[in-house]
Amino acid sequence: MNLLIYAGIAIAFLVLVLSLLVRARPETTSERVPENDYAQCVGEARWISLSECIFNPSDARWLREELSFPELARSLTRARKQLAIQWLKTLQASFNSLVRTAAPLQDSGANSIESWRLLWLTVRFQFLLSYALLIVQLFGPYHRLIPSFSWIPFLKEGESPLHRSLLARRSDLN
Amino acid sequence: MQSLGFALGFSTLALEALLLWRASQGQLLRRFPFFYSYVVYVLCGSSAIFVVYRVRPNLYPSAYWFYFVVSIVVEFAVLIEISDHLFQPFPALRNLGRAIAIVISFALGLLYILPTILESKRMRRALLDFALRSSLTKALILAVLLLAAHYYSLKLGRNVAGLMLGFSIYLGVNVANFASMERFDNLYAQILWVMSPIAFTICLLVWTVALWEFAPVTRTESLPPAGDGDSEIVALQLGRFNDTLLKFLHK
Repeated sequence: MNLLIYAGIAIAFLVLVLSLLVRARPETTSERVPENDYAQCVGEARWISLSECIFNPSDARWLREELSFPELARSLTRARKQLAIQWLKTLQASFNSLVRTAAPLQDSGANSIESWRLLWLTVRFQFLLSYALLIVQLFGPYHRLIPSFSWIPFLKEGESPLHRSLLARRSDLN
Repeated sequence: MQSLGFALGFSTLALEALLLWRASQGQLLRRFPFFYSYVVYVLCGSSAIFVVYRVRPNLYPSAYWFYFVVSIVVEFAVLIEISDHLFQPFPALRNLGRAIAIVISFALGLLYILPTILESKRMRRALLDFALRSSLTKALILAVLLLAAHYYSLKLGRNVAGLMLGFSIYLGVNVANFASMERFDNLYAQILWVMSPIAFTICLLVWTVALWEFAPVTRTESLPPAGDGDSEIVALQLGRFNDTLLKFLHK
């Protein structure tokens, strides 16, 4: 039985390596252009304000509570969820484009603290982005992305009633 | 079978010598220092083992097992070389390969390799388990390195792709071979022992072809060779990305 498992692992490993090596061909220019465009957009105020609109629950709340259109509010939330996922994936694509930018190696740069710091920033971003994508896909764009600690008694007491009601209304919309 | 063993032994020695000769001709030694250190070790080690076999046959088993165990550790040099070359041109990922190799080696070393050494009652069994599990660890590191390169759509280049392909063949055959050693003890002693030397000869052939000359990877996206400020620019932009994301996480 062990032999079969190890033989299977060996074959799967060789197939994986061969398929990845065959796929690792030079990319065409057309595949890269959109990501470069994204990269230029990330710092723009318009791009940031677009994301603020996507993640802002006030429109859906207005539809549901002031105009009494709960179905329309739900539909808007679903559309915003897709937009939020798209926005996060765009951010990821532009980040990957930046990470893939080559730079000449300095003699001291191979193992410097700076290189490890850059790697830490890269890994942290990838982790946070994956987490944000997961939360948006599971709970929608208006859910808290940082987990609430309100279940801890002394923290709960410190929250104002206004803050609690805002949180409750936010979670209602999801 | 013994003559086949000698033939394989001499062909690997010849290929190792050819690899080193081509490296000195093409100034590859300073570009791939870890890899060629490994080749020098294998060339000197296997030559020494052959001399021991001819001159002092009674010492051969001890010498062979010593060389075998040291080789398992020294083979990590090939992984370091591959991981360095995969990500070296990219400031943000420059240490990603080493980080992957260190994390996987440490985790599997502690949880998967160490227990088998401590629990084994017989030395031979402990050594074979150590070899099998080390080969699996190296295969996992190689697979994760390739997946990371694939995720970031990095071009590999002929030299690094050849290093990976050759080492993968060797590791894949080793995993199946060490596992079969336990199951087919007699059959292994008669026939299957030849699998590892054949795999290593194929591996050396692939390496010789891939490293015949230096083949740099052409990059379309690159920063101008400004020097000191490169990593600062990348650090600033990475920081901006992190800030943008954190802003939404804190909403």
